[in-house]
Amino acid sequence: MSQYKIIFTGPVGAGKTTAINSISDVAPVKTDAAASDMTKSRKAATTVAMDYGIMNLDDGEKIHLYGTPGQERFDFMWDILTVGGIGLVLLLDNTRADPFQDMQFFLDSFSGFISDTSVAIGVTQMDLSSKPSINDYHEQLKAMDLKPAVFSVDARVKNDVSLLVQALLFSLDPGLED
Amino acid sequence: MKKNKTKPLLLALYGMDERTHKTMAMYLKGPYKGKAIIVDEFEAEVDLIDADYIKAKDILEQRKQKTPERPIILLSLEKLSIEGTLYVKKPIQTEDLAKALKLANNQLNLKSAKPPKAFSEQSAAVISEQEKVLDPIATEKQQPATKNIDKDEIKKTSKHRTAKDLTEGHFSSYIGHVEGVDFSDPEQVINASFNPKEFFLGFVQSALRVSKEKGRILQLNSGWKPLVFFPLTQEIWLDANEKQLRAFAGLQIKNNSSSGMNLVAADTVSSNCNRKMEGFYEADHFLWMLAVWTSKGRYPNTININEPVFLKQWPNFTRLLVTPHAMRIAALLVMQPRTAMSVANALKIKPQYVFVFISAANAVGLLSQVKRQADELISPADEVKPSKTKGLLGRILGRLRG
Repeated sequence: MSQYKIIFTGPVGAGKTTAINSISDVAPVKTDAAASDMTKSRKAATTVAMDYGIMNLDDGEKIHLYGTPGQERFDFMWDILTVGGIGLVLLLDNTRADPFQDMQFFLDSFSGFISDTSVAIGVTQMDLSSKPSINDYHEQLKAMDLKPAVFSVDARVKNDVSLLVQALLFSLDPGLED
Repeated sequence: MKKNKTKPLLLALYGMDERTHKTMAMYLKGPYKGKAIIVDEFEAEVDLIDADYIKAKDILEQRKQKTPERPIILLSLEKLSIEGTLYVKKPIQTEDLAKALKLANNQLNLKSAKPPKAFSEQSAAVISEQEKVLDPIATEKQQPATKNIDKDEIKKTSKHRTAKDLTEGHFSSYIGHVEGVDFSDPEQVINASFNPKEFFLGFVQSALRVSKEKGRILQLNSGWKPLVFFPLTQEIWLDANEKQLRAFAGLQIKNNSSSGMNLVAADTVSSNCNRKMEGFYEADHFLWMLAVWTSKGRYPNTININEPVFLKQWPNFTRLLVTPHAMRIAALLVMQPRTAMSVANALKIKPQYVFVFISAANAVGLLSQVKRQADELISPADEVKPSKTKGLLGRILGRLRG
């Protein structure tokens, strides 16, 4: 059976763990088991926590929900994560010093993966800081020639996370039936 | 201090959270082969700062003051050229960081035999409590920087609703019925339009536009309940529940002096807005749902139903009333202009759902109509090409909506 993944990425505090927890059928776990598949040099760090959840589908298939480590800046980790990925959910924290820079960074870093699949963007903490607005994000994205879904998201609210992932799925195939 | 080849380089990390610490430790043990380890700031020989952290500038200044001989490596998304520091661009390539660490080690080796000025007890004693708070040490978990926190915002209740899971019959009841239109008759469907200016929607749109242009808080009196516009925050205040608003949205209003509509400056109004936070709506959210309840399955007559329309951007669905098939329609109209009937055919849904959606999207300015020249260039197929993983995506969708 194939390993299908949805990747959640974004800076520290954007709510990746909470978002995964919102739609996962199991509590987020540490990747001790996954570490056994890593190269020897990486085995040393089995304590590294990675957000991970599972969605069980009706036919027994599992969708793996992976969150990239928050301030992970090491490209080798992301390359491993995105293999077999269905699409990318990018969560951005609106209270960060420069959320546009964060957005640019993650979109650039995952540009290959995004062009092969799709991306949906969730902006969190908008109840604490309403600027930049969702329209401001779209303006930035237009300059990058991108038109992804951008939703304000409370990662604790299952419906918000669910709608964001649904937007990702419909971006991949609008013909999916409700 | 001359470095002993067998002794690891001692690094202190700043502006990084616990997880990044662990990743760094992993890197140092793995790709860097244990030639450096992470220690606290008192023992360190080299400082490693995440320059994208909000307080990075303060941290850098403090490190320069406290341990001026200590090499500093800055990690940043943007290229930095700060005197006396080394720079590594994010995303960090293993070779780049190894090179910077080697340079830092060389700097240490070049220094005199005099040990680097460590963080002495004496200097520690002069640091005020305030400075300690402002100087996040490496072992502390990074707190997200916050700004513009408005506690009143939190009091405003979230009002976004989802109607997408309503059955056809329930949704028809929810949006209301239009007298004199038989939606089962294709002839009547294509002519099922409404004029927004003859409904509360049109008055609200007009008043909101004036409020924005003048930059003033204005109140719309309608003979029903007053509506207050806040241009700065893009909010509308109304002391009415959803059921009342839905009923009023469907009433046809004559656009003359007998309508009782007037717009006044808020400074002449005895407003009680501040006491009723639950009466606030985001302007787009308010217009969107007002348009849904005005439409009732019809399309606005400001749109030529025979010309393609497209979405300038995705609606912010987590804060809007999500009508049936709205996400699919949005995905299609973001990708390519289509006529409303083409959308209905491609998605195999009733035109009313498309009309409701385009009414709402048009009300908040997200919809645009393709001009004739471009129209000739675009001829979307009625069929949507399915993705290779359609079955899988459909099962995920089912699970999310389950």
